[in-house]
Amino acid sequence: MPDPNWSQALRTVAPELTLTIVALIVLVLDLVAGRGRKGALAAIAVVGTLLALGWSVSLWGERLVAYGGMVVADNYSLFFNIAFLAITVLTILLSTSYLRREEADLSEYYVLLLFCTLGMMLMAKGLDLIVIFLGLEILSISNYVLAGFLRTRLQSNESALKYFLLGSFSSAFFLYGIALIYGTTGSTNLGRIAQALQANRDPGPLFQVGMALLLVGFAFKVASVPFHMWTPDAYEGAPTPITAYMSVGPKAAAFAAFLRVFSQPLAAMQGEWAVVLWVLAALTMTVGNVVAIAQPNIKRMLAYSSIAHAGYLLVPMVASGELGTSSLLFYVLAYAFTTLGAFAVVILLSRKGEAGYEIAGYAGLGYTHPVLALAMTLFMLSLGGIPPTAGFVAKFYIFSAAVKAGYIWLTVIGVLTSAVSLYYYLRIVVLMYMREPAEESSAATLTAGPLVTLAIAAFAVLLMGLFPGSIFTLAQSSVFGL
Amino acid sequence: MQIPAEAIVFYALTAITVLSGLVVVTSRKLVHSAFALVFAFSGLAGYYVLLSADFLAAAQVLIYVGGILILILFAVMLTHRIESLDIRSETLQLLPAIAGCGAIVVLMLLAVYRTPWAVKEPQVLTQTAQSIGSLFMTDYLLPFEVASVHLLIALVGAVIIAGKRGGQ
Repeated sequence: MPDPNWSQALRTVAPELTLTIVALIVLVLDLVAGRGRKGALAAIAVVGTLLALGWSVSLWGERLVAYGGMVVADNYSLFFNIAFLAITVLTILLSTSYLRREEADLSEYYVLLLFCTLGMMLMAKGLDLIVIFLGLEILSISNYVLAGFLRTRLQSNESALKYFLLGSFSSAFFLYGIALIYGTTGSTNLGRIAQALQANRDPGPLFQVGMALLLVGFAFKVASVPFHMWTPDAYEGAPTPITAYMSVGPKAAAFAAFLRVFSQPLAAMQGEWAVVLWVLAALTMTVGNVVAIAQPNIKRMLAYSSIAHAGYLLVPMVASGELGTSSLLFYVLAYAFTTLGAFAVVILLSRKGEAGYEIAGYAGLGYTHPVLALAMTLFMLSLGGIPPTAGFVAKFYIFSAAVKAGYIWLTVIGVLTSAVSLYYYLRIVVLMYMREPAEESSAATLTAGPLVTLAIAAFAVLLMGLFPGSIFTLAQSSVFGL
Repeated sequence: MQIPAEAIVFYALTAITVLSGLVVVTSRKLVHSAFALVFAFSGLAGYYVLLSADFLAAAQVLIYVGGILILILFAVMLTHRIESLDIRSETLQLLPAIAGCGAIVVLMLLAVYRTPWAVKEPQVLTQTAQSIGSLFMTDYLLPFEVASVHLLIALVGAVIIAGKRGGQ
């Protein structure tokens, strides 16, 4: 029988449908648009993303389940989807001038970016492991190609190849986990897995193996230590706007599905996986922050910083519960805006041929470009977790969630590693204000797109830092019924 | 003692699959590996027949044996002097590898033997293709459509990575 309520089903996936159609339109219009006129296609992509964002906002407050329990449009998925779409808009703004400069101005870039966002949205909306896996694969495939988009650059090729090999490896883990869970519970649907677990107290060790494999797959995707090896090279070689996108979008999407899978059907086994996640969180925070100190390249430093932040995002997952979930949502948003803002500065200061990423090049920026330096200071403070920024409030929420759940030691490790991270975040601030500008440091090319992203991100970081209440209430109302 | 025919078939298939799989991994000639892969894939298709999953068996033969393998063989044949290429693989850290693999084998065996399997009575042979088809159009409509989008992305991506870049 076809779905009797097909109009509701269409409404549930309307944002995804919009995004797909816009991506296809951009793909076809590429044939018409001449060279050097890809900017118009970027504009179409932005408009389409905003349209999907509008659709998502209009669904807020409802809980629509469609396609036989395959997808759900609840506040939790919509919160993530709105964040993904905002990230995509900001990434497109970062990309246009960069692509023209690097002579890689192809419309397929935007097509893949939109499809990647589609995959992320499906991951957040999926109520079935099949949908989550397909979303993950759509995200991954588009991301592999985007990472290698600067085909003439060796580093970009290396990035794509490493990302592809390790990514497909982790997808195999993920799929194997799904197969074992299906084999022991008889379903891939999250709701039915939960029922099977309730009916059958001990699902057997094979189920645990499946759960472990699923966890490994997710840990790969969020780049948690010790599954983080691919991250620095993949992030360093990818085109910089894609690095920015990869370090916030797909990571957030993986967390969206991670949290839903592990807190809904597997809540009964929380005692078992929380221990593993505890160890992963502690390792990730420590290794990410300590290794980031020694990085001379800003992209690589931000890559390790993003690994460390995956560790902080694991803390509320360990804590779980309503406070854990809402603080994770808040952290994702704060981290996304801060990182995109920092990358906007990085892109503005970079030069043709993927040059200008040495941290030493930031010396004296406070005198040559005071506004950029001020913005960078704000983002670095936010990443380090210093008030009055979004990063501080976000860290405050996740640590209070951990303390309330009784994870004192994890909180101690988190606070200590945050202190370590301040060293390399503030080093940039010190360089910018207390060193003389280097002789050959060229002027930043101020283009409109990254500047708009910068302004939006700075505004969001300050807003969430000074008035976190309304956003946190929003995050609280997005916690799905456990 | 009467040995059921199914068991004989099962063990024969297992022997074919495992042995040819070993050849795939250990052979130094790429062509030998590719041909051994034919038997490994066919053995797998045999399992599907044994489990009365007729559609899956046909898909396995069509896609893996008929499609992917032919593609590999074409790649081997069209690549200059690849046949004379001697693939050496060195073994590093033999002892830790054996220890690690052994631990995983023990773990998997324990998991397999301790799991309470949901055993079903053998069902009457039915055609599965039709029910799979109607499931794709009803319960699994969304994953089916998403998978098609996924293929499109792979296509676009392949063109980007491998295609000629216009004007450059």
